[in-house]
Amino acid sequence: MAQRSSSRRGKSNSENFMDYSLLFIVLFLLAFGLLMVYSTSYYEANLDFGDSAYYLKKQIFATILGLVAMIFVANIPYHFWERFAVIGYIVSVVLILLIIPFGHEANGAKRWLYIGPISLQPAEVAKLCMILFLASMICTMGKQIRSRKGFWMVVLVPMPIALMLWKITQNMSSAVIVVGIAVLMLFVACPDYKRFILLGLASMAGAALIVFVIVQMGQSQTENLNFRGARILAWLNPEAYADGKGFQTLQALYAIGSGGVLGKGLGDSMQKLGFLPEAQNDMIFSIICEELGLFGGYAVIIMFILLIWRFMVIANNAPDLFGALLVVGVLGHIAIQVILNIAVVTNTIPNTGISLPFISYGGSSVMFLLIEIGLVLSVARGIRLKDL
Amino acid sequence: MTEETPYLHKTYHRSKTVAALFLCIAAFVGLMARLAYLMIFQSEYYTMKARELHERERSIKAARGRIIDANGKILADNKTVCTISVIHNQITEQEEVIAVLCKELGLSEDYVRKRVEKYSSIEKIKSNVDKSIGDAIRTYDLDGVKVDEDYKRYYPYDSLASKVLGFTGGDNQGIIGLEVIYEEYLQGESGTILTVTDAKGVEVAEAGEERIEPVDGQDLYVSLDMNIQSYATQLALQTMETKEADSVSILVMNPGNGEILAMANVPEFNLNDPYALPDTVDAGTVSEEEKQNLLNGIWRNGCINDTYEPGSTFKIITAAAGLESGAVKPTDTFNCPGYIMVEDRRIRCHKVGGHGAEDFVQATMNSCNPVFITVGMRIGVEQYYSYFKQFGLLDRTGIDLPGEAGTIMHNVENIGPVELATISFGQSFQITPIQLAVTASSIINGGRRVTPHFAVRAADSDGSNSHVFTYPVRDNVVSAETSETMRYILEQVVAEGGGKNGAVEGYRVGGKTATSQTLPRGSGKYIASFLGFAPANDPQVLAVAIINNPQGTYYGGQIAAPVVRQLFENILPYLEEMDYNRT
Repeated sequence: MAQRSSSRRGKSNSENFMDYSLLFIVLFLLAFGLLMVYSTSYYEANLDFGDSAYYLKKQIFATILGLVAMIFVANIPYHFWERFAVIGYIVSVVLILLIIPFGHEANGAKRWLYIGPISLQPAEVAKLCMILFLASMICTMGKQIRSRKGFWMVVLVPMPIALMLWKITQNMSSAVIVVGIAVLMLFVACPDYKRFILLGLASMAGAALIVFVIVQMGQSQTENLNFRGARILAWLNPEAYADGKGFQTLQALYAIGSGGVLGKGLGDSMQKLGFLPEAQNDMIFSIICEELGLFGGYAVIIMFILLIWRFMVIANNAPDLFGALLVVGVLGHIAIQVILNIAVVTNTIPNTGISLPFISYGGSSVMFLLIEIGLVLSVARGIRLKDL
Repeated sequence: MTEETPYLHKTYHRSKTVAALFLCIAAFVGLMARLAYLMIFQSEYYTMKARELHERERSIKAARGRIIDANGKILADNKTVCTISVIHNQITEQEEVIAVLCKELGLSEDYVRKRVEKYSSIEKIKSNVDKSIGDAIRTYDLDGVKVDEDYKRYYPYDSLASKVLGFTGGDNQGIIGLEVIYEEYLQGESGTILTVTDAKGVEVAEAGEERIEPVDGQDLYVSLDMNIQSYATQLALQTMETKEADSVSILVMNPGNGEILAMANVPEFNLNDPYALPDTVDAGTVSEEEKQNLLNGIWRNGCINDTYEPGSTFKIITAAAGLESGAVKPTDTFNCPGYIMVEDRRIRCHKVGGHGAEDFVQATMNSCNPVFITVGMRIGVEQYYSYFKQFGLLDRTGIDLPGEAGTIMHNVENIGPVELATISFGQSFQITPIQLAVTASSIINGGRRVTPHFAVRAADSDGSNSHVFTYPVRDNVVSAETSETMRYILEQVVAEGGGKNGAVEGYRVGGKTATSQTLPRGSGKYIASFLGFAPANDPQVLAVAIINNPQGTYYGGQIAAPVVRQLFENILPYLEEMDYNRT
């Protein structure tokens, strides 16, 4: 085995695997995303900036940058990055802390850092660095992962980052994703099932308890409820909070519901005409449903299922555990984000700001996602064709 | 060595990765089910809600019904006016639009340019533009310029019957007068244009529009006769000027059915400019509240909104009650020494030396206070009061105008001998002129208490869907005999008594004069009035003239009776002719 794995690295790339299916899916999602960003934003962009392609142009620029970065990363053997695992973790912490003095506020939340003309969300950096750090850490731990101590170490390591994201950047969804990525990587790395089932049940019970307490509080006194408490009440009954916390959710539901099975047709959304806030951003999926109907919504979900299926194939054929864990981390990141986004848009869970990977407008998100795809492609290139 | 650690546990890693994939797929399937629920089963509900959100209603005004007098003359009409607006993002030739609008509307270039260049859904340039100008602008066929037609209320006779007709506000809703009482007939139903708009209200052109046509208001046919009204107004104005009075009201009605033929209250106001303040008031110095009070004063209809002490015309009621109760007969004789003692008070007759011996008919002709006090005493408080009720004096007349004032009368338990005495000749309480006219009508018309009114019927502009208004009538308010006796006595008043200035050659006229001092006593202000009707044997028309605070001579018999005489001289032949034409 040792001989095989060492000889593998010496082979030229031509015998190795290039995952064109994955590449195609990603390019499809990007193209579709650009189309939908234009469709959802041209009206407002024209009103606000006098240029209907305002958002589209910015997004195309970010996408191109992202694709260049992806190609670059894909051509570097992924083990190169292992040495940056600890530095990455520290950089994440520093960037998040920089938000306190230098953060830029948009839409009521302080989440952005401006470096020259480029805006950067530390949350995006933190997700990527967390994948790298955990993959490296789990590999270093080896069999220790099976012990209780190892298990809890992997659970606890992302917690500082998650807490900082939650408290400093007011971005609970990113915190949930960071923890989710860690749990998923741990799940794959650890042979145990029982602990995960218990963990899952415990978190579900915890969530149910929080909802119950907030509903009880909401009945007695509404003023004392904070931001998220009100969101939970609005989630349970958006129409009762139509002027406040339930507004966006309700508008999203109008968009989705009015789309019907076949949709209103590409470009014919009504809700994007200023009714639905963040139509080109977090709420883009509801406009997809409005314009392209249930079929369009399903098509997008199926594309994402295909994407994570490719991730699984690559992870399961990765030349080593580090590569496999990197891919699993990316899988976790994208899958959790897509699931949460669609769940928010359909009011399946309380509203929280989370974008739809590759499709939502947002430069820093798409760039980091493409870097992650670059990593996955790099892992895929390590696979020898005859292993498949 | 870490890097070289063989990838030993690949099998369970693989199965776990597969498990993770299926976990994700399970979540996706759940979300797909949720989507199917929202987009298939809830689709109808959300589609409806979304439509409600996206659709904007623009109303199309309905033409307000006209008000038409007894002869078919239009007293209140609609004028088509245009509203000119621009839609910024539909304009193609901006400079031309600005030039045309400046030229046609006579506006400054700055004003127009500011509005044309403003980025808004629709910007109004000018409203209430004449239709001819609107049509002219339309012929330029400029993109982004909208000419919307609209209706504006228009009163062809300006101030004629202003306090009766009333006027309308900015939304074409009635503000005062008949315009407000018959709102539901006149108003019509506005139509709507349903358009689809974005969140800011900008129309989405591709979506098209749905129209619901407006239903025009019904025309209101009133009993008012423009000719009589004009003449009454003219007379009232003339009287107000010659007598330097504060105001003069003339009310002409048909005592048989309650139809009002004229109701002039001078000074009137211009219905086409109802918010204009009199020239004597400096508009810049008055506060909003003062201004509103001034306007309310200008708009007041003295015949129905204000009460006054009727004075001697009320003797008609006392006489009727006396005759009806049997307390007095026309042949009863009295002696007037010039005063009468009521308890410890000495109430004087207007003739200082007294009228001496006189029968009841003569006492009425003389308007002798002591006799009427005696009659009042004979009737007694309880009975007298019950006649007030029977005559309908204590209720409102129910006239179809807003704000009718009620009668201000003592409570029955508070009426002592002095109060009874003063009531008998029409003092110490207040009624409206319309109340006096209607109560007198019911006494002379055979005992039918009619409801005074203007509206006869409402109908669509083509005459269809006619709705005839009916009004309550109460019979046997007084007996036929009492009514006949009253007609006789009142004819004598005009023929040979205090009302002789009301006599019209060739006609039998009945009537009663009154001169009452306004409160507070001793202010030197008087109200002179006369109530007359003709023909005395079969009353077809009843008129009341009230002169408020005349200078110089203030006796009703001398200044108010001639007004009614002049009125009758002109309208009695006219009414006969009208009747001739009708049959």
